[in-house]
Amino acid sequence: MDPLPNGNNVAAAPPPPSSSSSKLTESLKLEHQLLRVPFEHYKKTIRANHRLVEKEVSAVISALPHSADHDDAIHHLNSLVSRLQGLKRKLEDGSRAERLQAQRCRARLDHLESADGDNISEWNNTRLKRILVDYMLRMSYYDTATKLAESSNIQDLVDIDIFYEAKKVIDALHNKEVAPALAWCADNKSRLKKFKSKFEFQLRLQEFIELVRNENNVQAVIYARKYLAPWAATYMKEFQKVFATLAFTSNTGCEIYKVLFEPKQWDYLMDQFKQEFCRLYGMTLEPLLNIYLQAGLSALKTPFCYEDDCTKEDPLSQESFRKLAMPLPFSKQHHSKLVCYITKELMDTENPPLVLPNGYVYSTKALEEMATNNNGKITCPRTGLVCNYTEVTKAFIS
Amino acid sequence: MELNSIKDAFDRVTKKQKVSSSKSQEAIEQISQEIDLALSRIQSATPQPDHNVILSELKAKLKEMAPLGQLEGPQKELNLALSKYTKLLEKQFNPDISKSYRNVDFDFHTVNQIIASHLYRENMFDIGDCFVNEARVEAVVDKKTHFLEMYRILESMKSRDLAPALKWAAVNHDKLQQNGSDIELKLHRLQFVEILQHGSRDEALKYIRTYIAPFANQHFPEIQKLMACILWAGKLESSPYTDLLSPAHWVKLAHELAQQFCNLVGESIQSPLSVTVAAGDQGLPTLLKLMNVMAGKKQEWQCMKQLPVPVDLDQDFQFHSIFVCPVSREQASEDNPPMLMSCGHVLCKQSITKLSKNNSTRPFKCPYCPTEVQVGQCRKLCF
Repeated sequence: MDPLPNGNNVAAAPPPPSSSSSKLTESLKLEHQLLRVPFEHYKKTIRANHRLVEKEVSAVISALPHSADHDDAIHHLNSLVSRLQGLKRKLEDGSRAERLQAQRCRARLDHLESADGDNISEWNNTRLKRILVDYMLRMSYYDTATKLAESSNIQDLVDIDIFYEAKKVIDALHNKEVAPALAWCADNKSRLKKFKSKFEFQLRLQEFIELVRNENNVQAVIYARKYLAPWAATYMKEFQKVFATLAFTSNTGCEIYKVLFEPKQWDYLMDQFKQEFCRLYGMTLEPLLNIYLQAGLSALKTPFCYEDDCTKEDPLSQESFRKLAMPLPFSKQHHSKLVCYITKELMDTENPPLVLPNGYVYSTKALEEMATNNNGKITCPRTGLVCNYTEVTKAFIS
Repeated sequence: MELNSIKDAFDRVTKKQKVSSSKSQEAIEQISQEIDLALSRIQSATPQPDHNVILSELKAKLKEMAPLGQLEGPQKELNLALSKYTKLLEKQFNPDISKSYRNVDFDFHTVNQIIASHLYRENMFDIGDCFVNEARVEAVVDKKTHFLEMYRILESMKSRDLAPALKWAAVNHDKLQQNGSDIELKLHRLQFVEILQHGSRDEALKYIRTYIAPFANQHFPEIQKLMACILWAGKLESSPYTDLLSPAHWVKLAHELAQQFCNLVGESIQSPLSVTVAAGDQGLPTLLKLMNVMAGKKQEWQCMKQLPVPVDLDQDFQFHSIFVCPVSREQASEDNPPMLMSCGHVLCKQSITKLSKNNSTRPFKCPYCPTEVQVGQCRKLCF
């Protein structure tokens, strides 16, 4: 195998650490999304509250009257006082929201800390439920997600409310409405700008197309001047292409422009939104379940899994798992790993493999026990061959 | 990974946030107070105030206070703490585990079927039904029926009612015998102990004769012990057999019954979804490291037929014997089976062919010991 860049020979990669605590650490390192998502939400609330304070305070200060008559001055100042009262009330709510979100961030940190050797199987069980809720939320199975989270008491560990925020936008886009999506863009303007996102531009383009579709050409031009022009410099080609649809109608035969009028443009917008949304919140693009499943299937996949006598305990003995694993790579072993057919235990130097006269192999422990209970006779469970314990030979596997 | 340092960093964030928040409240309070002051001055009866002067004084005062300027400092510190925490998370955790995902055909209908079966298997029938409805999953009715029956039996056992369990064991008597399971006897024994607890010696005796005696051939010592228990009918606690009363028996037996039940209906004992996800959890770190090394070779990642590195999984995930030839480092297969040489060492067939230089009559030397090996004497092994 050729050495890969920076001199690492992949075939000789060091084996991962085998101690259980470092395995646990590796496992926890995969949980970035768990901590990042509520934190992004927390940051967003903090930012929104601060913007509110800035806006209201500067509005109040600049609204101070210069000169007015006596009664007007009093009236004016009173209105400013009540505006500040309103601000205080809003901030109280905002503070409450911040506290709750900080609590959620802490709850997740505590959850990671709670994983230790003793309760590991329960922790793993909880992880599977978290992963399932994440999958259901992304696939829009909101009822089941909520039920599962409630029944397992993991509401603090999943992000149902955040996905509901996305649901509003997705449902609207499904109904060919861009308003909620545009509101979402406005809400997250600065961060979308940092990511150089063109999602807002794409929404505006779609609205333009809809105006052209309904033959509101005058409106369309006004719209383009107001909302598309600011983006035109950066995305000139796309702008020109869409703007040119003015020259056609929605049932144009010209392929380049026909595709812009198709309903699947809305599906594209929904996908685009999901991507931007996940990126903003630090979520993986794919459901966690798919990521874990693919990794697990590949790690478990051997040619023997597809044979008829594959043990039922192997998930790949099942049709559905086999189907999913088809396009995935097989696992690789560098050293022999032999499992006794009878006891399912490892056959190694402590429990060496023994060979029957017909070539079938079983562990020493299994055959010793069988011989003890059967007057020194061995029956091969797979072929039925009967022989004496004295007739088996030892095999040396390195 | 340092969870403590992460917690500390988060505590710093909340601290800075409190400071910033209270500064905001302070500033708003101050502005309110100045305006209130100005208002009361304007409204005072004597001396007659010039409200315009008061207004300009108010304006000047607020400009001097510069409330928004006051907020800048704490806000800056807060932003610093926020970005530090984000960077810490990105450093201590793997920021994007979806790098290991392959964009291949991963049919979500199949995934949904797997999830539905899993929910039924884990006794979450309501949630399972809700899911089947919402996701429109097909073809899981059989699984649901199986597991419904299993949990019905187990629920009864929880309330010390062994009737459904015994009925199931009787119906599947032959298959259980075939699998070498003695669970039917164990169930009867538990029932016997229950009867004995309620004090009826005659009933207990009758029970042994009817249900337990048929197992006499294979379990005579056990049956003798049970017969002896009759002497302590109603007061087993004072007998030498008190351990028979332990509730642990019920738990253990329920567990064993679940295993046998799954066996008989052709299901695995553990949820295949749990097993696969657990294997994924163990395998992801290696796969992500591999993906890092292969960054930029996305096409190769997508199309590879076999992982180039081994993924170490726990013993629990070892379902098949894999023989790797120590000479060629290749995995054995149907075409290239493992062969036992007369010295007891094992090589794969192709390695033997190469070592004997394609001459099946001449003996060759085993690479691991001084023995001379005849090709014809090599035996194919079946693990």
